[in-house]
Amino acid sequence: MKRRRFIQSIPLLYASPALYTQSVAYAQNIAKIETASPGAVGEPVARFFSAAQLAALRRLSDIILPRIADAPGALDAGAPEFLDFLVGQSPIPTQTLYRNGLDALNTRATAKYAKAFAALDNTQADELLSPLRKPWTWQAHGGELACSTCASTLMPADRFAAFLQHAKADVLTATTNSREWITAAQRTRGGGGNGTYWLPAE
Amino acid sequence: MANQTYDVLIIGSGASGGMTAHTLTAKGIKCLMLDAGAPIDYDRDRVTRKVFDLPYRGFGQPGRFPHVTQADEFNANVWADEKQNPYTFDPADLYYWVRVRRIGGKTLVWGRASWRLSDYEFKAKDHDGFGDNWPISYSDLAPYYDKCEPMFRVSGRKEGLAQLPDGNFIEDDSPDSESMKRFIGAAKQRGVPTTKPRRATGALASSLNLLLPEALATGNLTVVPNAVVRQLTTDKKTGLVNGADYVDRHSNEEFHVSARIVVVGASCLESTRLLLNSGIANSSGVLGHYLFDQFYVKGTVQAIVPEARDGKAPPNLMGGSGYIPRFRNIESKSKDFIRGYSVDFGSGGSPGARYFPLYGEALQKALASHRGTGFDATTMGSVLPRFENHVRIDPVVKDAWGIPALHIQARYTDNEFNMARDAMNTLAELCHDAGFELLEKHDQMVPPGESIHELGTCRMGDNPKTSVLNKWNQSHDIKNLFVVDGSSFVVGGSQNPTLTILALSMRASDYMAERMRAGDL
Repeated sequence: MKRRRFIQSIPLLYASPALYTQSVAYAQNIAKIETASPGAVGEPVARFFSAAQLAALRRLSDIILPRIADAPGALDAGAPEFLDFLVGQSPIPTQTLYRNGLDALNTRATAKYAKAFAALDNTQADELLSPLRKPWTWQAHGGELACSTCASTLMPADRFAAFLQHAKADVLTATTNSREWITAAQRTRGGGGNGTYWLPAE
Repeated sequence: MANQTYDVLIIGSGASGGMTAHTLTAKGIKCLMLDAGAPIDYDRDRVTRKVFDLPYRGFGQPGRFPHVTQADEFNANVWADEKQNPYTFDPADLYYWVRVRRIGGKTLVWGRASWRLSDYEFKAKDHDGFGDNWPISYSDLAPYYDKCEPMFRVSGRKEGLAQLPDGNFIEDDSPDSESMKRFIGAAKQRGVPTTKPRRATGALASSLNLLLPEALATGNLTVVPNAVVRQLTTDKKTGLVNGADYVDRHSNEEFHVSARIVVVGASCLESTRLLLNSGIANSSGVLGHYLFDQFYVKGTVQAIVPEARDGKAPPNLMGGSGYIPRFRNIESKSKDFIRGYSVDFGSGGSPGARYFPLYGEALQKALASHRGTGFDATTMGSVLPRFENHVRIDPVVKDAWGIPALHIQARYTDNEFNMARDAMNTLAELCHDAGFELLEKHDQMVPPGESIHELGTCRMGDNPKTSVLNKWNQSHDIKNLFVVDGSSFVVGGSQNPTLTILALSMRASDYMAERMRAGDL
């Protein structure tokens, strides 16, 4: 589902001639203005990863969570572009994990199939993603300690596997927390995406 | 306002400060409460947002809370800012110090688990010879537990267990789901006790709504948010504390306020830091030492109830939560550890994507098939209080107000590691006996501090040479100084500490009021 479609679905309000006459009600009762968030109207611009890294991340994201029937996939949700932004803001160990991991996908793809990861077919890509088909364990993957903000010393030894596990978790979250996914999920099984947000202290 | 002397200055507005204010103001004692954090309007300051409208799509601002795993993008503004409030540790000994600086303190966000300690904790040394006993017994604190539970509307089920005394509960007689019955039955077969959660109920169970409003209604309490206390001040002639220097959080303007008695309830490590920075109450040399908490093994087991797959669970199969009280080293003796652990367990959750070695459509199918089929358990283990686990003032690092920061040094030892392994193996066996399929088991602890149960750095005791406080939470060195939070613990057990902190601060406040009446304070 293209982001644009949501924008088009927002009813557009044009100033009608009647509004040129100021009503007393608007002058006296200050209305609450409905607004949209920055992410609701524009297309994200990727700035952090190289073109080759971003291409690999897009392919990886599509493999981790493809569009399935009516449910939007990671690409529909703009997950790779969002992760480009998020990882670009993240501590160095996370940036390194992602950059090295994406480079490794391309290096391994080139060594085995003489192609970039983005150009592999599904069977070929599956070969390279075998660490994602091994059972996850706290011991092997550092559990929640290997989170995007943690110290690099806690990262598990197999950095490529760690990258894939991180990417899997991040792509899933970036997709299932997206406007596209939640809007679709509301139609199918009543997702909401609502939470109680604590405003900053004054 | 200026030059006014209050009867009692209370530093901190959470469980212990709130309870102290509640108890003292009811007796007509004029109290001033300083808190480093902002006030909170629970209705106005919390709003409903869509996760995709948050700037970081729910991930939170990267790097903002490197040591607060509890922080997410919705609640991020509750937690004390780590850049304004730095602390240090040796990279080899990671410590997660989790703080809230708002009126109400951590009771704004606590898990509400409300357990009593027993003489297995108060008299722990009598059972296994390690460390020290508390200077009080269960019977000293029981009357205060009796009063605190109704105030916090604690629900629970009476069990008659010596290691987990019953309380003044709203009776929880809810039926157990079939999956819970299977687990509870399996536990019983192996001599492992279980009970219902014991937990404060209500829309909010905080100092903010349960303690401070009543205290304010007496007219005897003044609450001052945004007042960061720099140090306590002493009278040079008497050696008694006579007030505090504090800083306006916004403007950095400096103030001093006077009081006859000072009560510190700023949380275990903040109270300790304040005393260390004030250079008082440490003739014993143990101030800052004996830091402990409870170790957590989150998701020790993640299992599924197979009959619940694909939405086929009958309505009474899944759901509910329960608790395994400590059962090791009560009647029998474990071979490689002393003391014991407790377990929170729950049925009806959905195992996360990481538990399935899949991706793509296969993963989505597996997630859908296992929705609501989960059974999981988290271990909370007793940590031995050791002198070498300690905090001290960092010689270099200061907070945003120029107040020297803490250096924290804590590490778990084999007693805790062996306990965690026992918990993992026991829980895996119980899941197997209950007919659950185990997806994962592990014994990897979160770093010290993450349980937010830090305790012990102003320990109480009868001997002024080996303890900071006497059995009334009163400084051995300075009789008009009290420390009422979790720093006074001698032994913590595996129970969440808040209910005991409430009871201790109420008891200390009763004593304080009585000594004031007697003209001794």
